[in-house]
Amino acid sequence: MIEFDKFTLDNGLKVIVHRDTSTPLAAVNILYNIGAKDENPEQTGFAHLFEHLMFGGSINIPNYDEPLQQVGGDNNAWTSNDVTNYYLTVPKENLETGFWLESDRMLSLAFTEKSLDVQKAVVIEEFKQHYFNQPYGDVWLHLRPLAYKKHPYQWSTIGKCIEHIADAQLQDVKDFFFHHYAPNNAVLVVSGHVETEEVKRLAEKWFGPIERREITPRNLPTEPKQTEFRSLHLEREVPYDAIYMAFHMCSRNHEDFYKVDLLSDILSNGQSSRIFQTLIKEKNLFSSIDAYLTGDFEPGLFVISGKLTQGVNMMDAEKAIWDVLDEVSATKANEYELQKVKNKIESSLVFSEISFLNKAMNIAQHEITGQAEDINLEVEKYNKVSTADLQEMAQKILIKENCSTLYYHAKKQ
Amino acid sequence: MEKLNRSLPPHFKTIEHVDIPKSKQEVLSNQIPVHIIAGGSQDVLKIEMIFNAGLWYQKSPLISGTCNSMLNEGSEKYSAAELAEKFDFYGAYITYNNSQHDASVCLYTLNKYLNETLDLLEQIIKYPTFPEKEFKTILSNKKQDFLVNREKTNALAKEKFNALIYGATHPYANVFEAKVFDEVKLDDIKEFYKNFYTSDNCRIIVSGKMDETVLPKIESRFGASAWQTKTSGIEPEHKLISSNEKKSFVLKKDAVQSSIRIGRPLFNKTHPDFAGIMLLNLVLGGYFGSRLMQNIREDKGYTYGINSVLLSHLESGHFAIITEVGTDVCEAAISEIYKEIDRLKEELVPEDELNLVKNFFAGEMLRSFDSPFALSESLRGNLLFGFDNSYYERFLQDIKATTSQKIMELANTYFQKEDLYEVIVGENKA
Repeated sequence: MIEFDKFTLDNGLKVIVHRDTSTPLAAVNILYNIGAKDENPEQTGFAHLFEHLMFGGSINIPNYDEPLQQVGGDNNAWTSNDVTNYYLTVPKENLETGFWLESDRMLSLAFTEKSLDVQKAVVIEEFKQHYFNQPYGDVWLHLRPLAYKKHPYQWSTIGKCIEHIADAQLQDVKDFFFHHYAPNNAVLVVSGHVETEEVKRLAEKWFGPIERREITPRNLPTEPKQTEFRSLHLEREVPYDAIYMAFHMCSRNHEDFYKVDLLSDILSNGQSSRIFQTLIKEKNLFSSIDAYLTGDFEPGLFVISGKLTQGVNMMDAEKAIWDVLDEVSATKANEYELQKVKNKIESSLVFSEISFLNKAMNIAQHEITGQAEDINLEVEKYNKVSTADLQEMAQKILIKENCSTLYYHAKKQ
Repeated sequence: MEKLNRSLPPHFKTIEHVDIPKSKQEVLSNQIPVHIIAGGSQDVLKIEMIFNAGLWYQKSPLISGTCNSMLNEGSEKYSAAELAEKFDFYGAYITYNNSQHDASVCLYTLNKYLNETLDLLEQIIKYPTFPEKEFKTILSNKKQDFLVNREKTNALAKEKFNALIYGATHPYANVFEAKVFDEVKLDDIKEFYKNFYTSDNCRIIVSGKMDETVLPKIESRFGASAWQTKTSGIEPEHKLISSNEKKSFVLKKDAVQSSIRIGRPLFNKTHPDFAGIMLLNLVLGGYFGSRLMQNIREDKGYTYGINSVLLSHLESGHFAIITEVGTDVCEAAISEIYKEIDRLKEELVPEDELNLVKNFFAGEMLRSFDSPFALSESLRGNLLFGFDNSYYERFLQDIKATTSQKIMELANTYFQKEDLYEVIVGENKA
C-alpha cells in the first residue's frame, strides 16, 4: 500500500506527496501531459527535442544543471509517445532547490538560438547512435508505420527522420512550450524524506504564481481496425534473421489491460514461460525471444520479437510462434500457470516499491491516466483475471488479421 | 507576500558526512562468512552467494561464465525447466554475475517464500548437473549474442582498448574469437565447478528485511557442513602486458558514428592518489556538468554523450574517456578531448568548480547507498579488496581534502600524452 497526500493549486497544478523516511533523499518528479503523439506529422521528434531544450536554461536561471549539482542533486528526463517526464533527486535538506529549478522552467525557458542549434545536433547524434549505428536499431522506425496507418503512434519519439529535427525553428519551440507546458497540464510528485506541509508551502511559493495556460486540445485520429495481415521484409547487415510481430490491443487504463498483460506473462515472463521453454529450450529455434506490451495510454501493441537461431528458416520460426499463440487461443491455461504469473506480478510490484523515485514516477503516471489512488488497486485487478479471460484475449488479439509482421533478414555474405 | 526573487538560488546545505549503514558479520558453522545489511521498507531479501570463481581462475575463455550461467540448468532433484518453474512460481528472481575475480549467484525473494526459494538455491549451488543439451543451447545462444555485440562500434572499441592496455588474453581484457564457443568442453565446465564452487571458497551477503529466522535458514542449507573443498594450486598465472602500440584504428564499414576511447592503465582504489584521480575524473568527464560533456556535447553538439570512467581491478585499473561521435566530427572531437586534458595540466581547477564537484559527489554517495540492495552491491566490490563499506567514509573525507593544486599535479603525472592510448572504431580514421 503506497500512501500519499494530494492537493491542487489554484493554477491547476496537481501535487502529490509520498513520504518514505527510509531514504536521506527527496525526489521531485514532474510529468507533463505531452508526448510524441501530440506532434504535427510533418514535425515529428519535437516533444523529445523539446525535452532537451528544457535543460538549456530557463527565464531566470541561465544553467539548469549547475545549481542542482552544487547542492548534491542529479536529474534526468524521458519522453514517450504519451508524456514527458522530468525528475531530480536531492539530499532532503536541499529540496527547495528542486522547486526553484523546476518552477522556473515551467514559468518560461530562455529560448536561445544557440541552445536550439546545439540540441538539434545532439539529438541527431542520438538518432544515429540508437537507430542507425546498432544492429537491429531501426526496427521500430519500420514496425510502427506498419502497425499504425492513422494514429500518431506510427512514429517513434525520436521522430520519423533526421530532417524533421534539423528543420525545427525557434518560433515552433516557443509555440510548443506555451501550448503544452503549463501548471494545468502537469502532475508534480514529491517523494522521499519529506513532509506534506513543507511541500505545500514550497509548491505554493514556487509554482503558485505561474499562470494557467490555454492547452491545445488533444484531438487524435482513431486508428481504424486492422482487418488483414500486414508484412514487411527488410534486409540489413546483421548477423542473424529476426522477426517482429505487433498486434493491436487496448490502452493502459482499459480493464482488459490486466488480462492481456497476464497473457503476455504466460507466454514470455521468466524462464518457465511457454515461449522460452518451447522456442528456445525445446526447439532451439530462437537465440532470444520476448513477448511484451507497449503499455501505451492510447490503444497499444502486443509485441513479439525474436532473433532466430543460425540456420533456422524464417517461415519455420514464424510458424512455431503461431503454434504457441494458437495453443493459448485453443486451450485454457491451467489455474496453476495463472497463479504463477499473478505471483510474479505481485512480487515485481513489491520490488518496484523499494525505490522512492520509482514510486514517484508510478504515482504520476497513474494520476495522469486516471487517478493516483489506482496504484493501490493494481494487485487486485490482476487477481481478478481468470483463465477464461486469458483465452478470450488470445482469441481476440493474437490472430492473423490483427498482426503486422516485420521480417528482418540478415544480408547474405 | 514578499516578492519572489527567482534569480537567487535558495539556501542549501553541504553534505559533510554520509552515514553508511554498517554491515554485520556472522560466520556459518563451516566458516562461510555472512555479511548482513538489514533495512528497507519492503519484505524482501537479496541473498548473494559469492565465489572466487571469476575469469581470473579459468584456464581458457568462456569457462567461468558458462559455469556460472549453467548452475540453474538442472540439479540432482530438478530439471532446468522445473527449477525455472519453481523460481517463477514464488515470484523470485535469480541473477548470475561473472566478473574478473568473483562470480556469484544472487537470489531476490519475498521473505514469505524464503524457505522454498532457499531450497532451490541450495539445489543450484550444491547439486548442479550441467546437462549436455542445455550446455549446447546456452553456448549457441551466447555465441549469437557475442556476434551481434561485435557489430557495435562501442563494443569493438572497448575490446580493442582493453586488449591494448592489459594484453588481449589477460582476464581484465578477456578478448577471444567466436570460434572459442565451438571449442569449450563440458568436462572443463564441470571441473571448474568442482574446483571453485566450494564452501571454503564462498562468502555470502544478505541484505533487506532481516529477522532472527533468516540466518538459521541459511545455516541449515549452506552452513552445517563443508560441501566440496577447493583444490589448491591450480590457479593460472596472469601477466599484465600493455602494448607499445598506443594508437589503433578498427574499421567498421558503414558506421554512421565513430567510437572513441582514450585512456591508460592505472592503479586501483587502494592507491593513495585514487581520491585525487577520482576528483580529476569527475571534473573532466565524470558527470553531466563535466568539462568534456559541456564542451563536446553541450557546446559543440558532436555527440549524444561523452564521459570518462575509472575502473578498479584487484591488481590494476584503468582510466578511459568514452564517446560516440558523428563520423564527420571525429577529428575535431579528439582534438577537443586533448585540449580539455591539457587544460587540467596547465590551469588550476577554479575553487567554485571544485566545490561543486565535491558536493555533487557527496550527493552521488547518498544515492548509491540508498537501499540495502545498493549497499550490498558496493560491499561485494569492497570485500574483494578486503575491506567493507566504511571505506567510503574515509574516501569522502579524502575527496573533500583534495586541492586544485593536487589535481593539477596528478594531471601532469598521469595524463602525459605519450602515456595515453587512443582507439577509434568507425568508417574512417579521424
